[in-house]
Amino acid sequence: MASDTKPAEEKPAEQKPEQKPTALGEDDEFEDFPVDDWPEDQTEAAQGSGETKHLWEESWDDDDTTDDFSAQLKEELKKVEAAKRR
Amino acid sequence: MNELFDDFAQAHARQNGYQLAQTLSPVAPPGQPNRLRAIWQGTNFHSVKGDIKHFIKTNTSHRQKLDHTEVNGWVEVYMAYWNAIGEILAGESGKSSWTKVYESWKELTSMLIRGYNSFGFAAWTIPSLYMVGKYLRLFAIKSDEERNRTANDPAVGASLMQDDFDSETDKQGQLRDCEQHLKRIFTLCLNDRAPLEESRKWGIYFIINLLFKTYFKLNSASLSRTILKTLAVYKDKGDMPPLEMFPKSQRVTFKYYEGILFFLEENYVEAETHLTEAWKLCHKDAAPQAERILTYLIPCRLLTSHVLPTKALLANYPRLQELFLPLATCIKSGNLRAFDLALQKGEDEFVKRRIYLTLERGRDIALRNLLRKVFLAGGFDEPKEDGGAPVRRTRVPVAEFRAAISMGSGGDLIDPDEVECLMANMIYKDLMKGYIARERGIVVLSKKGAFPGTGL
Repeated sequence: MASDTKPAEEKPAEQKPEQKPTALGEDDEFEDFPVDDWPEDQTEAAQGSGETKHLWEESWDDDDTTDDFSAQLKEELKKVEAAKRR
Repeated sequence: MNELFDDFAQAHARQNGYQLAQTLSPVAPPGQPNRLRAIWQGTNFHSVKGDIKHFIKTNTSHRQKLDHTEVNGWVEVYMAYWNAIGEILAGESGKSSWTKVYESWKELTSMLIRGYNSFGFAAWTIPSLYMVGKYLRLFAIKSDEERNRTANDPAVGASLMQDDFDSETDKQGQLRDCEQHLKRIFTLCLNDRAPLEESRKWGIYFIINLLFKTYFKLNSASLSRTILKTLAVYKDKGDMPPLEMFPKSQRVTFKYYEGILFFLEENYVEAETHLTEAWKLCHKDAAPQAERILTYLIPCRLLTSHVLPTKALLANYPRLQELFLPLATCIKSGNLRAFDLALQKGEDEFVKRRIYLTLERGRDIALRNLLRKVFLAGGFDEPKEDGGAPVRRTRVPVAEFRAAISMGSGGDLIDPDEVECLMANMIYKDLMKGYIARERGIVVLSKKGAFPGTGL
């Protein structure tokens, strides 16, 4: 029994380099902030003085005649139109 | 040793809870890499109690004097701390394990909790609870990892199995155990009857955030709801300081988790409210935290408000750019096939972050945009009277939509029934207004707002 348990104790020992304090912390969760509190003017809301508009945009675009997909779409629609006239 | 209790006495004289918490850190401060070892070697098992008592008394005597009971309480705490440090240091040289570190840290946690219950620890000292609680959780996680590692090692697995260790149900056994102790701290803060200005209630959000993290890690996010319900009772009674009075780090973290909870419940409107609040309060240079908030806020806003992040927003977060930019581009152009491919490409990442199903629903927006383009391409009807404003062609052949959807889906001609089904779905979801005149093979779109909210 004693000889059985020995490797069990040695195994974690090999992993010990990662016991450095910096290794503490989680990969997939909300990280701790380095400071506890900060003034209002250091917040995201205070940046760009309220013009958060440039951060979000509408989900569609109207002026897209230049990209390949839109050009191809126009071609397709023309074909339908032409078929109907025949 | 003396240095430790000099800090302790200073913290007491100033009633500085954060300084006090530092004296219970399991990590040496950057400038003093040998601090823990010095403390450990400063005494031994036989004299530790007497030494600690002596140091506390001499260091506090010429400053803020502590009463007898309180001294005794802190002696117990620092004895447990000294012991835990011993395990940590032994672990560094391979002579201990994370499990032992966790056990010793748990003892420290118990001693500290007892200090409040039985030895009259003052409320300003609660940052010590933050320090101890925070590391209790981290050590529990380390201990679980270690146990799973050794259990999976066939050489030692057999011997551990006998140690009453069920590897399947108990993979997170230590973290579950840890949750019990964090709950004790939660109760300790919650039930304090002292007036608010000297109440442990000021510790509530810190400990709630620790519990949230624990529940999420245990894959039991919904248990967070129980905590929120308990909190709501106290808030309704006016028996809890408002969240706005807490430090921003705690507020942002709390709002983030509250938002994620709603997100997982698919309540995107509520989720957006909380996540937006978290984002606004977040420190402008806290990129990892902001990135995490946006990871959920972006899918939320896509569904609730049909908006996408601009390149300017994504530019600061390369990882988010990689995650969302391809999808955003396809949604805007209405390229369904490319959207599917982008979703597929990012599947692992999206699933890991639990946003896959939400993003998948963005396909509706892509389809809406594709149909909208067909409508735009249809141009205008002849004005009925001279000088009348041009009116868009609102009778659109299903064949045109069919051609567009077929092309957008990758080229193969889609069955007309399927096309009608997709269109009916759009109408049902209020993304398009109109009706399908089947017998005539046309779609009659609303003259006012055929695609609500898009200016058409």
